[in-house]
Amino acid sequence: MTAPPVHLARLETDVPGAPDAPLKLVPRNPQDVASILRHASDKGLNVQVWGGGTRSGFGAPPEPDIVMSMQGLVEVEKWEPDDLTLVVGAGASVEVIELMLSERNQTAVLPEVPGASTLGGVIATGASGFRRTRLYGTRERVLEATVVTGDGRIIRGGGRVVKNVTGYDLPRLMVGAFGSLGVVVSVCLRLWPAPPDRATVTVGTADDAQRVARPLAVLEDRESTRVFIWGTTADVAAKAAKLDGDVDEGHLWPSDPDGEFGWSLRVPPALTAEAVGHLRDSWDFVALHGVGELRAASEGLDGANELRGWAEAVGGHLVVTRAPVGGLDGFDPWGGSLPAIDVQRRLIAEFDPARVINPGRLPGGL
Amino acid sequence: MGYVDELRQVLGEENVLEEPLELHIYAKDASLIRGQANAVAFPQNVEDVAGIVKIAEAHKVPIVARGAGTGLAAGASPTEGGIVVVTTALKSMEIDVENRTAWVGAGVINLDLTKAAAQYGLQFAPDPSSQSACTIGGNVANNSGGPHCLAEGSTTSHVLGLEVVLAGGEVVVLGGQAPDPPGLDLKGLIVGSEGTMGIVTRALVRLIPLDPDVRTMLMAFPSVESSATTVSQVIAAGVVPAALELMDKRMVEVVENWLHAGLPTEAAAVLLAEVVGETEGVEAEAGLIADIATSNGATSVEVAETEEHRALLWKGRKSAFGAIAQLAPDYYLHDAVVPRTRLVETMKAVYEIADRYDLTMLNVFHAGDGNLHPLIAFDASEPDINQRVHDAGDEIVAVCLKNGGALSGEHGIGLEKRDMMRDNFTDLDLDAQARLKEAIDPGGVFNPNKVLPAGSRCFDFGGLRRQELPEGVWV
Repeated sequence: MTAPPVHLARLETDVPGAPDAPLKLVPRNPQDVASILRHASDKGLNVQVWGGGTRSGFGAPPEPDIVMSMQGLVEVEKWEPDDLTLVVGAGASVEVIELMLSERNQTAVLPEVPGASTLGGVIATGASGFRRTRLYGTRERVLEATVVTGDGRIIRGGGRVVKNVTGYDLPRLMVGAFGSLGVVVSVCLRLWPAPPDRATVTVGTADDAQRVARPLAVLEDRESTRVFIWGTTADVAAKAAKLDGDVDEGHLWPSDPDGEFGWSLRVPPALTAEAVGHLRDSWDFVALHGVGELRAASEGLDGANELRGWAEAVGGHLVVTRAPVGGLDGFDPWGGSLPAIDVQRRLIAEFDPARVINPGRLPGGL
Repeated sequence: MGYVDELRQVLGEENVLEEPLELHIYAKDASLIRGQANAVAFPQNVEDVAGIVKIAEAHKVPIVARGAGTGLAAGASPTEGGIVVVTTALKSMEIDVENRTAWVGAGVINLDLTKAAAQYGLQFAPDPSSQSACTIGGNVANNSGGPHCLAEGSTTSHVLGLEVVLAGGEVVVLGGQAPDPPGLDLKGLIVGSEGTMGIVTRALVRLIPLDPDVRTMLMAFPSVESSATTVSQVIAAGVVPAALELMDKRMVEVVENWLHAGLPTEAAAVLLAEVVGETEGVEAEAGLIADIATSNGATSVEVAETEEHRALLWKGRKSAFGAIAQLAPDYYLHDAVVPRTRLVETMKAVYEIADRYDLTMLNVFHAGDGNLHPLIAFDASEPDINQRVHDAGDEIVAVCLKNGGALSGEHGIGLEKRDMMRDNFTDLDLDAQARLKEAIDPGGVFNPNKVLPAGSRCFDFGGLRRQELPEGVWV
């Protein structure tokens, strides 16, 4: 642990769960974030942005010089239930946000089994909830983003309205960017009202789900295939009857697949069932039918090359989301190649010219 | 060789226009702002578009992409001269029923896609009022909305991939059928960029299943407030209708006089709501909406009994702008958005502005998402009227911003609202936007001087313009 520069010395340095680093800092506001990033840019130090640590396994980052925790940026600035909008700090816990929203029967449609994850981490990694089947992914939720760029500028894009075409879509660009353009410090989210009733129906196969119009999610794992529905009581009862399976009240979301290695397999939606067939028997998984996303876990790399080969041949990707230290043994965490990589590089250079935020996370050496 | 001759060489004689009358036709879109092109090009495929971009860059002339020209913000008006690239010949369409997607040429008309998809039990959700004319390329460029975007989101939520010609004539395919493509979301950045970043030649769009059942209902209210309260309470009850459209009294009168659809002309506001889904679900939701409307004093609740009845109710909404011709030869349609909770006070201010400028104002808009469309009907031959219309429009936008809104909900910024961007964003925010544009179009060939006001880059701060700076100055 080295001493921080004088102007950052007043910041907290205790970051529970974070990896070892010469310097750990807890900014209290966007201005602190800007100070830290300017310092890092001046000195050429790489900064790992730390949320809940639940999605910190992407890419192949170098050891961080600075770990910057977002735990101090959790304030709910404004919740307007009647506008279906919420402005909140990016360090806020997904679980806390959703619990708060549920008091007024609303949801931000964030990942349903969040663990310790933060809103900022979900946005940076481009993670989506299971309900994306019906309500689409996290990219559709971020209406406004306030961002601190790598060179310490505080910028805002989008707006606090649910429909907006004023200027370029900076908020959308931040989703899945792994902080490469800047650190998201607060966002305005589009919320969704939760209808009064919900149920989980276990069916024989994913095809059975086609008996009802546009369910919230159709999830398959090693145990079962379940259809998730919600609506008015009459609607839920009618849908459950059509599905003709075992009905549980409420939504029984599957937990994340368990294993040393974590995977995200992404294929055209119609190939979801086929993708399941390509997984080795030892791999744990949750498949999102209708989306083409499979979340998987394994104890080793066996079968990964073949799976990636198939996925890429059908226009998809196999991405490593978690791996033990040194465990990849040369296996590329992203695979594939990026389109318009020069444009991507120029964009990053405009916002993080010294390339200090989360280097090594994105594919293609970005 | 001049660039027009080069264009002819690449595209063929018949696909390049430069006669004065032809140039006049392509000198503006559906806005009130006219430009002047030097040539109009009709590419037949993506290679043609790449060829045009290379020629334009070599000769440093601007390119303005244009679909059907239904844009309302002058985004497709060639105000800087150069080449208007009309994409209407790019009409390929490949529907993938299994994956519920379609690769669609930029020139395909929105309604044609919807009709083609319907054969397979599918639909394209974005449905701008101009859908019988506007193209997918234009929808992508403007991130177009429409009544049904309340539940499904605007065009950007339905674009999974793009084939786009970037600077240098580079053809790239961004995104695809598989979710979450790795890397930065360039596709998401280009959608809604109004032709300032490249020319989209094809789009991979999401199709959603046709709704098994639908209930369309028309409710009459004694006040705008009671209709707005109904909208809020419906959503609070957990129902997001597929559409929630509001027409004020003046608009209802004009439409009814034209269409004779039996609209309740005595009402202060009329709300059109549509719910979709399984029969049991839509019946329950329609019942809930009717109860909420009645509890807020609705004087009538009419539920469409047949498909013809439903079509008639929608016709009233979708042909509202056509009906204006009865009132005056010209109209100026505004587009601004406010948080839904600020709708009523914003409407009051908008009416007050119209009265103060002595203008005929009608309102029909997307109440569910706070997207206002005040419409000023006028006769441009009347002295001083253009200035009054313009000034009233500026005041309307200012009120929307003051109430926490934004400049545009679905029509775009283009040239019309470009200089108001300073009221919506800080200098630093605009600088960031200008950097996005520069990173993707370093030579500035694509639709220059649209969307962002002059001097958006920081090194233009303080009224300094780049070309006015002495050489070697570091700003």
